[in-house]
Amino acid sequence: MILVILWLTQDLLTVFTGGGMEVPGLFMLGIVCRLLLDDGSGDGSLWAIWSAFAGGILWDLRWVGIPGFFTLGYVLVVLIVIQVWGMIPPQGRVSGTGLLVFVLLECSQLLPPMLPVLILGGSTGWGYFLVQQAWSLPAILMAMYIYLRIARDRKV
Amino acid sequence: MDSRRSTAREFAHGLTALILATFLLGVSSGLGIMKNLVDLWGAVLFIPEYPAVVAREIYIGWRSWSRDKNFLSGEVSRLRNENAGLRLELAKLAGGKVYSDDRKNEPHTARVTLRAPMSWWSEIRIDRGANDNITQGLPVFSGGYLIGRISTVSALSSWAELITSSSFMIPAVIEETRELGVVVGDGSGSVLLRYIPAGRGIRQGMKVSTAMIGEELPPGLPIGTIAGEFAAGVDGYTTYRIEPGADLSRFYTVSY
Repeated sequence: MILVILWLTQDLLTVFTGGGMEVPGLFMLGIVCRLLLDDGSGDGSLWAIWSAFAGGILWDLRWVGIPGFFTLGYVLVVLIVIQVWGMIPPQGRVSGTGLLVFVLLECSQLLPPMLPVLILGGSTGWGYFLVQQAWSLPAILMAMYIYLRIARDRKV
Repeated sequence: MDSRRSTAREFAHGLTALILATFLLGVSSGLGIMKNLVDLWGAVLFIPEYPAVVAREIYIGWRSWSRDKNFLSGEVSRLRNENAGLRLELAKLAGGKVYSDDRKNEPHTARVTLRAPMSWWSEIRIDRGANDNITQGLPVFSGGYLIGRISTVSALSSWAELITSSSFMIPAVIEETRELGVVVGDGSGSVLLRYIPAGRGIRQGMKVSTAMIGEELPPGLPIGTIAGEFAAGVDGYTTYRIEPGADLSRFYTVSY
């Protein structure tokens, strides 16, 4: 449910800005955050892969017009997070991983909007991504704070 | 063992999702049904997105209004100053007193350098004097409205008597009715218009400007508007309170 709300919030923000700029990827921040807090029980991270897939398709249908661009980016981010996070032993995931969490959250904001540009090319300059990243930074820091707080509470 | 199986399953699902996404990317641009899907999804989202659409329209409207307001405010200020300059020019052409040789349509600006608390409503000192062609009797404006006239001139500075001063008296006319009266200050911040015959239909908001009587000031300089009746005399004349057009509590520069 929280992922639906985050997707819708991201969509409303894009409507508000008129689609002229890339808003923070709240949906992917939610998925990555939850993935990092997942203890790996049950079906593991399958929910994350297919949620990212569904969310990506719906985003493409709404804002790109051609399904696949953000779908690919979202799934790719989830797989990267699963792979990188899986390399760290569960005992060492809370302490000393702040920088890694930041990098993974940042990756979720950078990769999806960059993929269409890499595939299609075009005149989008680095300035566009700098603005987008600056705009995403508060959301990333907020997600990081939420993650660290929940992780610390669980440890206690 | 379970962990390895779980990892393999994640890998298989991830790979499937990636292949599906790539496949969609490759074929969807050529599928006509995609356009229908895009339209359908847009229609579904219309209702939840509606508040954001309204908020955006309100924001754009507010931004546009704010920009227009700033522009118009600047324009009004510029036109007021220009109007004051033109009135002076008109007065000169109509035979009024010539105040300076180099005066153009654009009024000159002077900074208020002293406004003593003891004579707050009576006079101010400005940083322009005889060297800047200031002469005694020259009208002084703020925001395009008359606020006083030069009373004393020295080489580098001058004193101006304010319209709120109790010794300030100038003939004035109500523009809408052409009734003539005398504008006087009361020494404590109020400006009055005296000697208007009673029952002449004077209403609040009517404009008051200098009248073409005497040689002290040129006619047509805007002073303010009628704010209301102050007192009705037994002699058949009424005194009105004037709302000065300039903000006499807040001016740091004047034009002349």
